[in-house]
Amino acid sequence: MLPASLDEAVDALAAAPAAVPVAGATDLMEAVNAGRLRPAALIGLGRITELRGWRYEDGGTAVLGAGLTHARMDRPDFAALIPALADAARTAGPPQVRNVGTLGGNIVTAAPAGDTLPVLAALEATVTLARAGATREVPVSHLLTGLDPVRPGELLTWVRVPLLHAPQVFLKATGRSGPARATASVALVLDPARRAVRCAVGAVAPVPLRPLEAEAWVAGCIDWDGSREIDPAATAAFGEYVAAACVPDGYGAEGAWEAVTEGPSAASVRLRRTVSVLARRALGRALK
Amino acid sequence: MTSPTDIGAATQQDGDEGGAPEPFGLGSSPLRSDALPKALGIYPYAADLWAEGLLWGAVLRSPHPHARIKGIDTSAALALPGVHAVVTAADLPPGPDGTPDGAPAGPIVADRPVLAAGVVRHHGEPVAAVAADHPDTARLAVGLIAVEYEPLEAVTDPEQSFTAPPLHPDGNLFRHLPLRCGDPEAVGEIVVEGLYQVGRQDPAPLGAEAGLAVPRPDGGVELHLSSTDPHGDRDRTAACLGLEPDRVRLVVTGVPGATSDREDLSFQVTLALLALRTGRPVKMTLTREESFHTHTSRHPALLRYRHHADAEGTLVKVEAQILLDGGAYADVSAEALAAATAFSAGPYVCPNVFVDAWAVRTNNPPAGQMRGEGALQACFAYESQLDQLAARVGVDPVEIRRRNAMATGDPLPTGQAVTCPAPVAALLEAVAAEPLPALPVDDPDAEWLLPGGPGGAGDPAAVRRGIGYAVGMVHMLGAEGEDEVSTATVRVSGDHATVICAAVDSGQGFATLARQIVQSVLGVSEVYIAPADSDQSIAGPSARGRHTWVSGGAVERAALMVRHQLLQPIAANFGMSVELLQIADGKITSYDGVLGMPVAEALEGKELWATAQCRPHPTEPLDESGQGDAFVSIAFCAMRAVVDVDIELGTVRVVEMTVAQDVGRALNPRQIEDRIEAGVAQGVGLALLEDLRTEGGVLQNPSLTGYRLPTALDTPEVRIAALLEERDVVATFGAKAVSAVPAVVSPAAVAAAVRAATGLPVGRLPIRPEDAVAG
Ligand SMILES: Cc1cc2nc3c(=O)[nH]c(=O)nc-3n(C[C@H](O)[C@H](O)[C@H](O)COP(=O)(O)OP(=O)(O)OC[C@H]3O[C@@H](n4cnc5c(N)ncnc54)[C@H](O)[C@@H]3O)c2cc1C
Repeated sequence: MLPASLDEAVDALAAAPAAVPVAGATDLMEAVNAGRLRPAALIGLGRITELRGWRYEDGGTAVLGAGLTHARMDRPDFAALIPALADAARTAGPPQVRNVGTLGGNIVTAAPAGDTLPVLAALEATVTLARAGATREVPVSHLLTGLDPVRPGELLTWVRVPLLHAPQVFLKATGRSGPARATASVALVLDPARRAVRCAVGAVAPVPLRPLEAEAWVAGCIDWDGSREIDPAATAAFGEYVAAACVPDGYGAEGAWEAVTEGPSAASVRLRRTVSVLARRALGRALK
Repeated sequence: MTSPTDIGAATQQDGDEGGAPEPFGLGSSPLRSDALPKALGIYPYAADLWAEGLLWGAVLRSPHPHARIKGIDTSAALALPGVHAVVTAADLPPGPDGTPDGAPAGPIVADRPVLAAGVVRHHGEPVAAVAADHPDTARLAVGLIAVEYEPLEAVTDPEQSFTAPPLHPDGNLFRHLPLRCGDPEAVGEIVVEGLYQVGRQDPAPLGAEAGLAVPRPDGGVELHLSSTDPHGDRDRTAACLGLEPDRVRLVVTGVPGATSDREDLSFQVTLALLALRTGRPVKMTLTREESFHTHTSRHPALLRYRHHADAEGTLVKVEAQILLDGGAYADVSAEALAAATAFSAGPYVCPNVFVDAWAVRTNNPPAGQMRGEGALQACFAYESQLDQLAARVGVDPVEIRRRNAMATGDPLPTGQAVTCPAPVAALLEAVAAEPLPALPVDDPDAEWLLPGGPGGAGDPAAVRRGIGYAVGMVHMLGAEGEDEVSTATVRVSGDHATVICAAVDSGQGFATLARQIVQSVLGVSEVYIAPADSDQSIAGPSARGRHTWVSGGAVERAALMVRHQLLQPIAANFGMSVELLQIADGKITSYDGVLGMPVAEALEGKELWATAQCRPHPTEPLDESGQGDAFVSIAFCAMRAVVDVDIELGTVRVVEMTVAQDVGRALNPRQIEDRIEAGVAQGVGLALLEDLRTEGGVLQNPSLTGYRLPTALDTPEVRIAALLEERDVVATFGAKAVSAVPAVVSPAAVAAAVRAATGLPVGRLPIRPEDAVAG
């Protein structure tokens, strides 16, 4: 099925609840090829042009179509709007994959290393889920944690992101120069209106993690009224703070968050170091 | 054998505008004929094969690295509609005692069953197979085969293998090779020690294993496969099935470029068995995951070294213990071990060398042939040792190597004199003399690719540059008495020639070379290379850089014989000797220009053909103290690696590799450069990325997401400093094998450069980010 509009797509899904929506198919086909998924029917979203762009809403919000491709988000006009999301889209796989892979697909797949996810978490984005005759708005973090998942028959249509008009950064560590999944990533956005720094760490846990205390602490170290300067020591401390908050002592082991261990494991030390460097660099670039 | 007339001077026709003629003859650089189809995606691979009424095969593999099979129930699978056959070890010819033994086979020792009989010895070992009318049905049926396993303790640490209970009736030791050369009591003023570790590199061919088996009316079977050893594969397949070799025909098709053996005997025997069982053509294509399970990988290695040197850094003694993890089956472990042992001291002169080397059986995936097996692992260790020595002596890495460099005539620690060219010092000088790439600070306008890649997290302030050097060596052709022989037929009719030779072009460029040889000898530009199959005469496997020498030699001889047949009557007619005639541009001319006859006219509609063999001089096995003339010839290479390391994240980018290689003679310069680039890419992959990890014998990353092959962004600029052409007088055309040695040397060079950038010891390959964090 290849609906040409959102309404058609929603109706098609209502008519065939077992059908699976497909956008760029870069995740879906992998699951099919590996035998993990045998869709009874597919509903292709590629013809729904309205979902492939974005619009503005009053109150300084951008409403992004779920069908935006990574390649599209990487273009300069988009990068000027939401730089961290553009950064994430730029590194989300090889060009062939970024040309077809979409924002909506990245969110619904909800892979730990999904590159747009920490950015959306740091931006406190919300998503619109549509079904025949009804829509609802869900914070992206609720969707990812499973607190409020996508229900059968629902399509992810829009992603609402605040326009902050301030520096934002996404950094990803992969261990290689060619395209790869993140071993850790950090998204960091400044929100000068609220005098806030928001940060999310990706790939170290099933969902992006927000080091809320570190965010609040570092926001207090920034001279918001002046040139937004910060003491380099505070930048470094922020990195450590974020890493300690997001990587448990027993990282890699089962039940790492609950276990009481004697100091951090070697894997934790390594990962903390990486996260700390990323967070420090991200803050440094945002305040440059 | 070098031919009397210097055919290397064959015309290199540069394209003038208009119909640019194809490059022609030896020394020119024609493009490989499959290059364009492969780049355009229209090359037919084995997975594209089709036959009317075919069935689909699928294999059941062991989930355990070591287990006893207590029972196999195939009834549910057989009952599934659409399933035509389910086979297990019981369907193969029984062993000597009359019970199923899985029809074991192997390139040196027949110890690897086609289908596991009674016990599985590695994760992914084939246990049963199905033929069904649809690939999905076949996979479904595989899932319905009920195997009762009794898991056994898996021996996965090669050091435990010595004391572990035998994992196989043949025991756990594939080979122990002691090497004793010189005075064991010798000591040097300076002693450096190191422990080195090499991970498991996989050939990861992008074209996964695939093939088609067609039953023959005479009870035999025809196999269409991307084999690189048609006769070896035919013979072993026939033996496993209990057939005469002539009842099996192997047609080589769709070879995707192999950097090692593509032999997976179990795959092809199973395929043939299913076709024989069902009387229908059977096709099988492995998944990516299965592909990682079936073909052999590079031997993981542990190497302990101690170098003694005098105060100037001149080597006094090398002591080493080398342990190769051969995995569950023998494959070519014994051969890899011979290379590791014989080249354990590297391309250096050292009077006293004492080595103990072992290749052992474990419950890890089997290891086998892969560019420079054995030689590569040793190179990483001895070159790391030389860097340590340089630091201790206080000279630079190039100088320490120059002081010890081997030259033609020097002995290997095996007692064999290196009689071929050994231009080690010249190679080193060539790479050291090349200009260095600019630093970001010197060229700020360039868009610098930082470690971590474009849009990555790299920070120029944390980037350190390192420069490292390495020299290495690898033998060519089979070693230790292996009979090396190849046969080729050359036929001329009309204005074109045909080469019939079972040497498979696995990407090494043999087809292109054969065309160039015939062009040079016979002057015809149109040369057709017949596809290889096992009905032709034996040419042997595409491995160890042997086809240029043995098959190239056979083609040259056959072409020379045809040339003689063609010219003899003409020469007789004119009362001159054949040597006074020459063939060029499809025309026969005499030295004085009186005669000018088109080849087609000389042929008078006849067809001339000749068949010839080439068999290099024999070698001998290494004896119980590692002594003997085991190798036909040796190729050398020097490299300089330039890397940038983000010392906080440990990410490494190889900026440039500079290469000087001893090629004997450049028969096709562009192809040589391609092969060097391929070897560098593979070596850089091993140095930084590629590691097929196991845990308790279970493969952890059998996918192209998990197993990280270098991409274009991970692969450095390759700068060729020199292709040194010092002819190897015993080799065909004086040319040396070119593919393996760059792969052997580049990991060591990258490691040296990372060491220089970080100041860290770097004793393990691949170098993980955590091994390069120095901030
Ligand atoms: C080689 C390769 C490399 C990759 N590298 C990266 C990487 O570095 N970083 C990264 O983040 N990702 C990477 N990916 C994953 C993938 O490309 C991204 O997750 C991409 O954003 C998925 O989008 P898609 O449109 O292809 O999704 P699809 O495959 O079409 O869909 C994925 C899932 O989402 C559902 N879905 C899609 N759209 C909707 C919708 N509008 N409403 C409801 N459900 C929907 C589908 O039903 C399916 O379950 C890689 C993939 C490949 C193949």
